[in-house]
Amino acid sequence: MLVKLSLNSIKSRFKDYLVLFFGLIISSAIFYMLEAIATNNQFTEGNTIISSIKFIFQFGSILLGIITLVYVSYANNFLVGMRKHDYGLFMMLGAKKGKVSQLVAIETMFVGIISTVLGIILGISLTGVLSKLIMKQLGISLKHFSVIYFPAIKITLILFIILFLIASILNIITFSRTSALTLLRSSQATDWKKASNLKLIIQSILGLVLLGIGYFALCDIKNLKLSSIPIALVTIVLGTYFVFNALVSILITQLQKTNFGQKRLNNFTLAQLKFRIRDYTKILSVVSILFALSLGAITVSYEMNHQVEKYANVNSMYSIAVVNPDKNIKTNIQKLSDASVQQYDQITTKNRIYYNKSQINARPFEYQDVNNSGEIKGIKKASIRELSNPNSTAYSNFLNVNGYSSKKIIFVSDQKFNSIHQKVNHLTLVKVKHTTENNIILDKIVAMQSKQLKVKNVENLPGSYGYFKLLKGVYSGMEFMGTFLGFAFLAMLASCLMFKILSGATDDRQRYQMINKLGAQKSTQINSIIQQVGLLFLLPAILGIIDVIFGLQMFDQMELISDPYSDLILVLCGFLFVYLLYGLVTVIMYIKIVLPKIKITK
Amino acid sequence: MNKKILDVKDVTKVYNSNGSEPYEALKGISFSVDQGEFVGIMGASGSGKSTLLNILATLDQPTSGQVMVDGKNLSNLSANQMAEFRAKKLGFIFQDFNLLENLTVRENIQLPLSLQNIKAKLFNNKVQEVASQLNIQDILEKYPSQISGGQKQRVSSARALVSDPSLILGDEPTGALDSQNARELLDTLNDINEQGVSILLVTHDPFSASFCKRILFIKDGQIGEEIKSDGLSRSEFYQVILDKLGTFEQ
Ligand SMILES: Nc1ncnc2c1ncn2[C@@H]1O[C@H](COP(=O)(O)OP(=O)(O)O)[C@@H](O)[C@H]1O
Ligand SMILES: [Mg+2]
Repeated sequence: MLVKLSLNSIKSRFKDYLVLFFGLIISSAIFYMLEAIATNNQFTEGNTIISSIKFIFQFGSILLGIITLVYVSYANNFLVGMRKHDYGLFMMLGAKKGKVSQLVAIETMFVGIISTVLGIILGISLTGVLSKLIMKQLGISLKHFSVIYFPAIKITLILFIILFLIASILNIITFSRTSALTLLRSSQATDWKKASNLKLIIQSILGLVLLGIGYFALCDIKNLKLSSIPIALVTIVLGTYFVFNALVSILITQLQKTNFGQKRLNNFTLAQLKFRIRDYTKILSVVSILFALSLGAITVSYEMNHQVEKYANVNSMYSIAVVNPDKNIKTNIQKLSDASVQQYDQITTKNRIYYNKSQINARPFEYQDVNNSGEIKGIKKASIRELSNPNSTAYSNFLNVNGYSSKKIIFVSDQKFNSIHQKVNHLTLVKVKHTTENNIILDKIVAMQSKQLKVKNVENLPGSYGYFKLLKGVYSGMEFMGTFLGFAFLAMLASCLMFKILSGATDDRQRYQMINKLGAQKSTQINSIIQQVGLLFLLPAILGIIDVIFGLQMFDQMELISDPYSDLILVLCGFLFVYLLYGLVTVIMYIKIVLPKIKITK
Repeated sequence: MNKKILDVKDVTKVYNSNGSEPYEALKGISFSVDQGEFVGIMGASGSGKSTLLNILATLDQPTSGQVMVDGKNLSNLSANQMAEFRAKKLGFIFQDFNLLENLTVRENIQLPLSLQNIKAKLFNNKVQEVASQLNIQDILEKYPSQISGGQKQRVSSARALVSDPSLILGDEPTGALDSQNARELLDTLNDINEQGVSILLVTHDPFSASFCKRILFIKDGQIGEEIKSDGLSRSEFYQVILDKLGTFEQ
């Protein structure tokens, strides 16, 4: 009988359950996807690209595990909030506490298991689609990558079942300790007290100062060196907490006093927000900081991947260096777009390689200048003197195009060069403007070259393209990782926030019903909800974006990436799109839960 | 003749909850309330009192019939106009005090004025005025959780009065109060009424009803009988009501 009643009330709140299921399915799907990559040893070890960054996956899955824990607890609160009234009513009608607790536990497990199984199925299909898409996008192929991976399924199932088991036990405790009446009236139990102004002001100032120190530490990494990161981490985390706990409250109170604050429902909306923010301090801080970390990680990995060419050029400005290219290689070189080709004559003896000075002076050898601390200083033309100095950058670049030969390189005059009666070879150097655009032809050339020279790993070939390929692999892998993890975290964070907000919606229903009676128009009420939910979503995002702007300074200062902000906008757009989509769903759900359904036909 | 503040003609209400048979909660109700009257509507639980009140309050629509408030035909109003109408012309006093716990007493009282987009400067005086009328000037800056049940009910009365409504509607306003506070609230309503505000009170409590000047009895969705105090003292009228209820029970 009770089971039937319970099922009936589930039916009547089908839409709320749909959101609950949807959120949980997404979270277990994301977890499965990450595990499918992280735990697949064959895949991670079989790919030079991925194996170097395996630790990021492991770190990521631990972090995701923690977020999942928070997430399930919020989702469970949402579930309990939804059911409190129903179960309170059952108890009033005479159902035994034990029976009700049992029912609650069964319902929790039921929701958990169904959503986890569906989540894994979704995860499998998403892994398939996403991996194909990303491999194509990044131009890499992933070996041994299986979409259905049993150990990942096992881990996902175990984690989620344990989490829901804990949730069930907690729910049993909640329901067996609380009386029917408290359950029924739980929504009216909110207690609102004024916080002391002095405390708020001190906390706000402290928060701003801490954020300031953190941002300064990020910008001043050159002097602070390695201590910059821990300083920034601690101060920004604490600063964020205080800003949400106090500063936002103060700003809202000030806003309430203005004319704007007195208009229509604004005062109510602001009061709601002020009330909420304090309750939300922790989750808003976590969302803000993880938002920043994920956004930063994606941006940096994008940016680095875009600069692989520059990194590779540190070894050599010339993608290809071939001695006496055959006809096949020559025709391929001609096919390259925007390429400039130059040729030096060389004579190789037992211990030496001779070059003609005047030939090199006529068309100087180019290299990317790097100072002692590794900063890239721009492109330079090498003089013979630099080329002859074994400690110069020019020399090491020249050595590269000579295949790191152990023979001594000597520059001689025309006369001297011509007097050496040995076979003259031609070293052909090819510089392309855009390496990535030419990658197919360059691949062909390197393949032929490594066959001729019997070189196994392309990165050991003269010229920078082999090295470029190696770096590209690593950085594409990082970009893939960064993007995947970043968006996975974002989706989880946004849904944590969503459930946190929605679990308060039931309490708000009465407030809006009353406001409706007092004569608030529907549009005014909807605006009030959009403002409330919108601000709860926007505040952590804004602070997170500020964090990233300063965080990227760190990379800029270290010259790791030259223009860290150029990709930020693009990544940010993608980020905000996903994030705000969650915000939108939350607003719509909230309106559905909160606003009274009046059937006014006009 | 007095001006009619409320005129209800042949109002019916049929609930069509899906699955079950249509249920006719109101079966053709007609009555009117004059300006300045204090009218009670009494009836057993389930007789249709709340349904009627919701229709008068523009929170629900009648299936057929017409309701005029202060000369305005409610069925001609759009949803937005209804909201505006509620804010300007009606005052509500509910059983559960219905104060917003995250707003101060002052902010609660001024909410109907804010909703009409009246400037803060203009409504401060008005808030002060109703607050002193209801003797709650000293608690204006407190939050609802810091005041007593009787004070809360006075605050909701103040909120009902603040927009100078044509009609105050009360749905069992004393239902959640002890007898002392109930008495106080009813006295307050009486004062308000004597200052010329029309009040329509829905109740099943004879004591509350005895403060009204005229009582309509509603039974099974129809108005059965009507009695007037006609110069009787409150306690005499109370006796009349009890007698009347007695005859219904037989
Ligand atoms: N939304 C509704 N749907 C279906 N029936 C309803 C609805 N609201 C009230 N009723 C029915 O209409 C009748 C009158 O209800 P109501 O006006 O609340 O009575 P009262 O306030 O006098 O106790 C009751 O029988 C009740 O069951
Ligand atoms: Mg009722």
